[in-house]
Amino acid sequence: MNTRKTLTLELTGIIGAALVAILLGIIIIYIVSEEPLTAIQSLLLGPISSAFNIGTVLNKAVPLIFTGLALAIVFQAGVFSMGAEGQLYMGAFVGALAALYIPGLPVWVHLPIIFLAAICAGAIFGAIPGFLKAYLNTDEIVTTLMLNFIAILSTSYFVNNIFKDPASGGYARMQYIASDLRLGRIVEGFTAHYGIIIALATVIVIYLLLYKTKFGYELRMVGQNSRFAHYGGISTKKIIILSVVISGGLAALAGIIEILGVHGTFKDYFSINLGFDGIIIALLARNHPFGVAVAALFYAYLQVGAQLMQGASDVPRELAVIIQVILVLLVSSQAIFTFLRQKYLLRQGR
Amino acid sequence: MTVLLEMKDIHKVYPNGTKANQGVDLTVHEGEIHALVGENGAGKSTLMKILFGLETPTSGEIRYKGQPVTFQGPRDAIKQGIGMVHQHFMLVPSLTVSENILLGDELRKGFFSLFRDRKRELTEVDQLIQRYTLKVDPQAKVEMISVGQKQRVEILKVLYRGARLIILDEPTAVLTPQETDELFHSMKELVKENYTVIFITHKLREVMEISDRATILRAGKTIETVQTKNSSQEEISKLMVGRNVLFRVEKEEAKPKEPVLKVNHLTVPDDKGLEAIRNVSFQIRAGEIFGFAGVEGNGQTELIEAITGLRKIKSGQIEYLGQDLTEKTVAQIRAMKIGHIPEDRQTTGACLTSTISENLILDCCRAKEYRRGPFLEQKKIKGFSQQMIKDFDIRVQNEDALAGSLSGGNLQKVIIARELSKNPKLLIASQPTRGVDIGAIEFIHREIIKKRDEGTAVLLVSAELSEVINLSDRIGVLYNGEIVAILDNSTPLSEEEIGSYMLGIKRQEQEAVAE
Repeated sequence: MNTRKTLTLELTGIIGAALVAILLGIIIIYIVSEEPLTAIQSLLLGPISSAFNIGTVLNKAVPLIFTGLALAIVFQAGVFSMGAEGQLYMGAFVGALAALYIPGLPVWVHLPIIFLAAICAGAIFGAIPGFLKAYLNTDEIVTTLMLNFIAILSTSYFVNNIFKDPASGGYARMQYIASDLRLGRIVEGFTAHYGIIIALATVIVIYLLLYKTKFGYELRMVGQNSRFAHYGGISTKKIIILSVVISGGLAALAGIIEILGVHGTFKDYFSINLGFDGIIIALLARNHPFGVAVAALFYAYLQVGAQLMQGASDVPRELAVIIQVILVLLVSSQAIFTFLRQKYLLRQGR
Repeated sequence: MTVLLEMKDIHKVYPNGTKANQGVDLTVHEGEIHALVGENGAGKSTLMKILFGLETPTSGEIRYKGQPVTFQGPRDAIKQGIGMVHQHFMLVPSLTVSENILLGDELRKGFFSLFRDRKRELTEVDQLIQRYTLKVDPQAKVEMISVGQKQRVEILKVLYRGARLIILDEPTAVLTPQETDELFHSMKELVKENYTVIFITHKLREVMEISDRATILRAGKTIETVQTKNSSQEEISKLMVGRNVLFRVEKEEAKPKEPVLKVNHLTVPDDKGLEAIRNVSFQIRAGEIFGFAGVEGNGQTELIEAITGLRKIKSGQIEYLGQDLTEKTVAQIRAMKIGHIPEDRQTTGACLTSTISENLILDCCRAKEYRRGPFLEQKKIKGFSQQMIKDFDIRVQNEDALAGSLSGGNLQKVIIARELSKNPKLLIASQPTRGVDIGAIEFIHREIIKKRDEGTAVLLVSAELSEVINLSDRIGVLYNGEIVAILDNSTPLSEEEIGSYMLGIKRQEQEAVAE
């Protein structure tokens, strides 16, 4: 069986799973709702009913694309990092500090410095579990989960104490970042900010990196068969560390763009599990960058739809969570795909 | 002759899509030795796993003693009197022979049968050993006994559980020629007592020697069942492969030149830190094939890993064209025109989830001519891959097919294409034809000899003694981590002669070994 057939089969499987999940969601709506048609309509069509809503979908997709890419790249290297959430906070935190506390720079110098600071913070924080895994064979799932607490709680401490904006009152947040440093709207009157353009450009860069360069080739070989990589002279340690460093940088981008594009400042607990949603996005995308873009948009669409549904009907937005969970269950059931493949081959064989 | 077992139109498709059996028929008579022959991947093992209840067939019918049967697991098969000796032994090394034989079926005595009746156990095991002349010490720990004896323990285990039909899955693969003879003797004894034996093999000499009838499988289908005494090696091999096969490897006399690889007093530890290779010295010259014979697990793997940089050495030198290899990384060694065909092609030699092309470019992705700026030159890679597929007769749709979809022989050709395309000065070939079909074996042997004639120094390791004898110009025998003999093979040696060195019975004078 060649790769194209495998790809077609996988795609049919994933799209099928998405349809089944939505169908089950609709059935649940019919069970719980007094006004199922209104609920379904706002869930499925709401997100594209106005330019404002479309813009919201795009904005919601931006951080998901970055965290999805961050996890796709480590997963492809065979490293099961769960650390995107922590790296996202570190990146956002350091980036926000760079935005607030480096004075007197022109915007076109200042903005790249902010991004660079954020990426470095995420990358360095991401490198820690990488070194631990490469040299001490420490389980990266445990270390990254623990490091998440360190990142989230320590940034929380700082934003509640040292860097807290005195004018913020009951809110734990930093001062607002100067508006010329924030990511503006692409078109006036349309909600989407420049983040989506940066995100889609990053998708292409990561695609090229993974599939068209020597580094990407080596990274994928390490992930797919580390013994083969070792036999072939690929330095698996180097690849593991670089993969978590790049991943940390991408997660940090998710954080800083969320700050500059949406919140305008670093807020306590501003990311509601964006780093963990990235795991699901990467899973749905089968770790492919283009898939990440599609999956993130789908995910954002579902969230916006659920929000609108809650406003328009008696169905709570948590329904979106149910649909997401069903989808994850279906997609992660590798068995279904192998079953389909077997049926397919059987039919060919007879 | 009564029919004991009938398997009809058996199909088996594995979840990963492999069609291992596609309509296999097998009829076995009571009291015969029935050989099941076919190339690797022909479906022999799958068929036997179905018979033993380890796999459920996708479709088909099994009749045993005239009754249709379905086995949910090995337990059901054992109950019916079917026993199987697996290729890989399933014994507890720290227990004694008799404990292994009785495991799960211990004899009990006394109050509520709380106590083991060790005395009766020993006598029963002793009787069993006497009766079938399967010589082994019942009180010895399994970790201390030889491979041949371990196999006898496996057979005794099966007999103790009352099996009347015994399946032996490639029993001779791990045995020396002498041990093989003893196994055959025991098999004949069993058949005299009206036991039935199904014997899986792909060695034709053994089929002719021991079996009454042979069923030939090819590509998951039954080709024919023949009476062995009315048939010949040539006929069976033709049925196996589907065409005529050359048995001898044709090669001219070697013309060795300067030494390429010099190994001096090399000591290499195994994974546990014990010395797997002890004080080994040898040289390989350009234009010769130096073969290592030896029962598997006598240090071959560690020796090759040391030379290719995959394993740290303890002491000694490895010199390649005047350069010391011991401090070099794997990547540096691969860049020095050293080709390495690893023993395990599924896990080490290839990446099954990647495409053929990705498997081929392992080295050239580092070469400048395959890169432009940060990117790989996709066109050149495609061209190179297509060239390799053509030159090495890899049977596949295109270079984007997954390596995992290839048969063993074709996958091995991918690895050989990659390793030979860099025109190695030294080629290390470990089990180059293991589990490969006969057609591909011929091809691989020809390619290795062609490289030798072009002046490559070849280090060959193979568990197939006939392969070592057929290809090598000189043969080193490894026993327990040491080279016990280095023999000239310009006129081919006999298997028995090498076999006695392999078992450690004979040993050359130290001076001769050290050259």
